[in-house]
Amino acid sequence: MSRRLRASGHFRTGYAQDLRLVETRGERWSLAVFLIALLALPFFASPFLLDLACQVFLASIGALALMLLTGHAGQISLGHAGLLAAGAFTAGILFKEVNAPFWVTLPAAAGVGALLGVVFGLPSLRLRGLYLAVSTLALHFLVVYLGGEYETRRGFSTGVVIDAPTLGGWTISGGRTWYFILGAFAASTLLLCLNLLRSGTGRAWAAIGANETVAEALGIGVAAHKLLAFVISSALTALAGALFAYYRGFVSVEAFSLFLTIQYVAMIIIGGIGSLLGAVLGAVFVTLFPYGIEAVIGTLAGAQRYAGLLFAVNYAAFGVVMILFLVLEPLGLVGIWRRVQTYFLLWPFRHRPMAGSRR
Amino acid sequence: MRSLRLPVVQLAVNIAVLASIYALIACGYVLVYRVSRVLNLAHGELMMLGAYMLVVTASQFSSHWPVAIAAAMGLSLLTGALVYLFLMRKMTGEMVLAAVLTTVALGTLLRGVMVLVWSAQQQYPAQALDVANTSIALPGGARISFFAALLILTTALVYGALLAFLRFGRWGIRMRAAGQRPLLAAQRGIDLHAMYALAWGLSTMTGALAGILIALDSGLDQTMAIVGLKAFPAALVGGLDSLAGALLGSLIVAAAEVLLIHYVDPLLSEVVPFLVLIAMLVVRPWGLFGTREELDRV
Amino acid sequence: MSEPLLSVDKLEVVYQRAITAVQGITLSAQRGQVVGILGTNGAGKTTLLRAISGFHGTDDARVTEGAIRFNGRRIENSEPHRVARAGIALVPERDKVFPNLTVAENLRVPVARGLAAAERRRHQARVLQFFPKLEELHDRTAGLLSGGERQMLAIASALASKPELLLVDELSLGLAPVVVEDLMSRLAQIRRELAVTILLVEQSAAVALEIADYGYVLENGRIVLDGDKARLASHPDIQEFYLGQSSGRRRSYRDVKQYRRSRRWYG
Repeated sequence: MSRRLRASGHFRTGYAQDLRLVETRGERWSLAVFLIALLALPFFASPFLLDLACQVFLASIGALALMLLTGHAGQISLGHAGLLAAGAFTAGILFKEVNAPFWVTLPAAAGVGALLGVVFGLPSLRLRGLYLAVSTLALHFLVVYLGGEYETRRGFSTGVVIDAPTLGGWTISGGRTWYFILGAFAASTLLLCLNLLRSGTGRAWAAIGANETVAEALGIGVAAHKLLAFVISSALTALAGALFAYYRGFVSVEAFSLFLTIQYVAMIIIGGIGSLLGAVLGAVFVTLFPYGIEAVIGTLAGAQRYAGLLFAVNYAAFGVVMILFLVLEPLGLVGIWRRVQTYFLLWPFRHRPMAGSRR
Repeated sequence: MRSLRLPVVQLAVNIAVLASIYALIACGYVLVYRVSRVLNLAHGELMMLGAYMLVVTASQFSSHWPVAIAAAMGLSLLTGALVYLFLMRKMTGEMVLAAVLTTVALGTLLRGVMVLVWSAQQQYPAQALDVANTSIALPGGARISFFAALLILTTALVYGALLAFLRFGRWGIRMRAAGQRPLLAAQRGIDLHAMYALAWGLSTMTGALAGILIALDSGLDQTMAIVGLKAFPAALVGGLDSLAGALLGSLIVAAAEVLLIHYVDPLLSEVVPFLVLIAMLVVRPWGLFGTREELDRV
Repeated sequence: MSEPLLSVDKLEVVYQRAITAVQGITLSAQRGQVVGILGTNGAGKTTLLRAISGFHGTDDARVTEGAIRFNGRRIENSEPHRVARAGIALVPERDKVFPNLTVAENLRVPVARGLAAAERRRHQARVLQFFPKLEELHDRTAGLLSGGERQMLAIASALASKPELLLVDELSLGLAPVVVEDLMSRLAQIRRELAVTILLVEQSAAVALEIADYGYVLENGRIVLDGDKARLASHPDIQEFYLGQSSGRRRSYRDVKQYRRSRRWYG
C-alpha cells in the first residue's frame, strides 16, 4: 500500500500492487469516509430520502449489468426492461403459485434471466453490433406479452401483490432494513463487476470490444465470451427486477415500458460508457432526475399547468440531456470528473505531454 | 373470447392494409440505413410528428384536404433534413452505436414535446378537414375504408417512385454510391452531407405520409409510435438495405400478425412482428434481400 | 515560366494530432506534365495524395503547416467533394469502384462540373474510347471485375468528371506486368489527347519513370531527391535502391553509411 496521498508519483512495482483496488493512502481515506457516511445515512435521513437511496441502489444493479454488456463487450441491449420484468414476474409468479420463499425466487429469477440471455443472445452471436439490440427488442415485447397474459388469465389485472420476504420469523420491511439489504446487493454487484473486469474474462471482453477479428485470431472464443457477457448481464438484471418486486411489494406489467429501458441506457450514457463508476453515477443522476424536474416545475412561475403533464416534461428533458451528453461529452459524468481530477493532479501544468509528437 | 369469424376476403383486405402501413414506414428505415448506415429508432416518433403536422395544416387548409396533406408532407421533408443537419451530422465521425443512441434520445425528446404541445388526447384530423372516411364495399362481403384504400395506393406509388429513382435516376444512383463507399463518393464530387440530409428528409416524409393516412383513417394518439416500431422488424426481415425486401417483409409480418390475432389471441398484436424477426435472425440474419456484407458494417 | 497547375509548399500532415506523416514537402506540377512520386511503403505518398484530394472526417488527419495551391487557389483542408468539383480527380489505391453498382452506373456517379448534358455524354464517349473493354462490360457488377478491369473502370470514372489534374495512387499494385504496361500506355495517350495533368504515385520506379516527365522521391515523409526523368534514371542511388540495378561491385559498410548520410543532408 503506497504511503502517498495522491496518485501522482505513485508507481506500481509488482503484480500484487497492480491488482489492488485501493492503492494510495488518499484513496483509502476517501473510501473510509464515504463508507462511514453511507452506513450512517439511514439513521439521519427521512423516509423519503431512504426511499430515494433504495431506488438508487436498485438502479445501480441494473446499470452495472448494462455497463458490463455495453461498455466492455461492446454490445447494446434494448431489452433491459424486459429482463427486469422477467425477474419481477418470476418472483411474483413463484410466490403466488407455490408460495416460494425469497431464497428460492431470487436465484430462480437470476436463472430465468440467464436463460433468456442464452435464448436471445444466441441468434445474434454470429452477427456484429446492432443485431443484439434488435433481438433484445424482441425480448422486451415477448416478456411484456407473457406478463400481460399471466395477469389477465389469472385475474390480476391490476398487478400481482407480493408479501414482504421473511427470514425465519423476521419480516423484512421498513426503509432502513431495505436500505442495508439493497445497499449490500449493490455493493456486491459492484465488487463482482470490478473483479470480473480484472479477470481473464474481463480482458477477453476488452479485446473483443477493441477488435473482434484480432481477438479471434488470438484464440479468444469471441462467440462464447459475448454470450457469457450477455448471460451474466441478464442474470444480474433479472435479479434486480426480482428485488424491485419485493421492495415495492407489487408487480405490474405497466411498470416495464420501453422508457424504462431508455432510462437505463441513459444511465450509462450520462455516467460514461465503459466505466463502472459511470454506471453508478448515471444511476444516481437518472433516478434523481424526475424529482429534480418536479421541483423545478414547482418553483417556476407559470409552469404550473405543466404539472399534470409531468411525464411529458420528463421525456422531453430526458431526451435533451441524453442528446447533450452524446454530442458534447461522450465520456459522460466520468469524463467530466476525470477532467476535474486531471486539472488538480497536473496543476500547475495544463496538459499531459503528447505521446509521439516531435515538438 | 373468440370474436366473430371474419370472412377470408376481409382478412386478406386487413392484411393488405396493414402490410401497406408497415411497408410505407419501413421504407423510411431502409432509406436512412442504406445511405447513412444509421438505425433511426426515432422513426416512429418522427412519423407521429408528421401526423401532428397534418393537425396543424388542417387548421390552415380546412376545406382542401389534399393541400393539407401536401403541406404536412413538405414540413416533414424539411424536418427530416433539419434533424440530420443539426443533430445527426454531429455524430458522423462517431461510432454507429452512438448515432443509434442519439436517435433513441431524439425519439424520447419528440414524445415529450408532442404531448406538451398537442396534449395526449386523441385527435381526428379527418373531422377537422371535413372529409368523410366512407366505407367501401368490396366483392366477397369485405369492406375497406376510403383512407385505408388510399393508403394501399399510396404505398404502391411511393415504392414505385423510390425504386425507379434509386435504380435509374442519376441522383438515386449517387445515393446508392454514397451508401456503399462514402469516401469514394465524396472523391467523385458528391456532397455527402447533402445526400444524407436528402435521405433523412425523404425517410421522414414517407413515414409522415403513413402517419397522416393512419390519422385520417382511425385517429391520432400516442400509440402510433408503437406502430412505427413494429414496422422495424418488417424492414429487417426484408434486409435493412433493400426496398423490395421491405415490401416483402411487410407482407409477411402483416400476414402473420393479422392471422395470429384472428385465430389465436388478440393480445399478440405487439409481439408477432418481433417473433418473425427472431425467426429471421436465426435462419437468415441479413434478411431476404439484404446484402450479406451489410452484417459487418453494422 | 507560367504558374504551375499544382504547387505544394512545405506541407506537413498530422494524423490523430500526434503522428506526423509528411513534413516539409515542396513540389509542383506544370500543366500537361506527368509527375511521378516514388518511394517505398510508409513513405507518405498516399498521405500526400489524400492531403491534396481532401481528408474525410473519419481519417482524423489535418494539414497542419504549409499550403497546397491549385490554379492559384489554396485547397488544403478542403472537403473531398469540393476538391473534386474544382477539377482534381483521385484514383485511390483501395476501394476504387462501387462494388454493388454496374459499370455503367459507376460511370454515371461522378459529378461533372459545369458540363451540359450533351457535353457530358460526348466526354463520356471520349473517355470510353480509351477503354473499349468497359463498353462490353457495360452491365457487369463492378465487384465482379478482374483487377485490371477494375483499374480501368476506376480511371475512367475519375476522368468522367473532366478533371484538370488526375491523381493516381499505386496503379501497378496487384496487377500483372503486361496489364500494367497496357494501362501505362493508355495513361500516356490520355495525357496527350485529353490534356490532363497527372500526378502518379508509384512504388515501382521503373513503371513510373516510363511515362513521367519529372519525379520526386519520398522517404519517411520527406522529399530526398527530385529531378527530370533522365536525371533520376541515371542517379546511382535510384538505380541501386529503386530500380534494383546494382553497379556490380560489392558495397562496403562505408558505402552504405554514405547513402544514409546523404539522405540526412537532403532531409
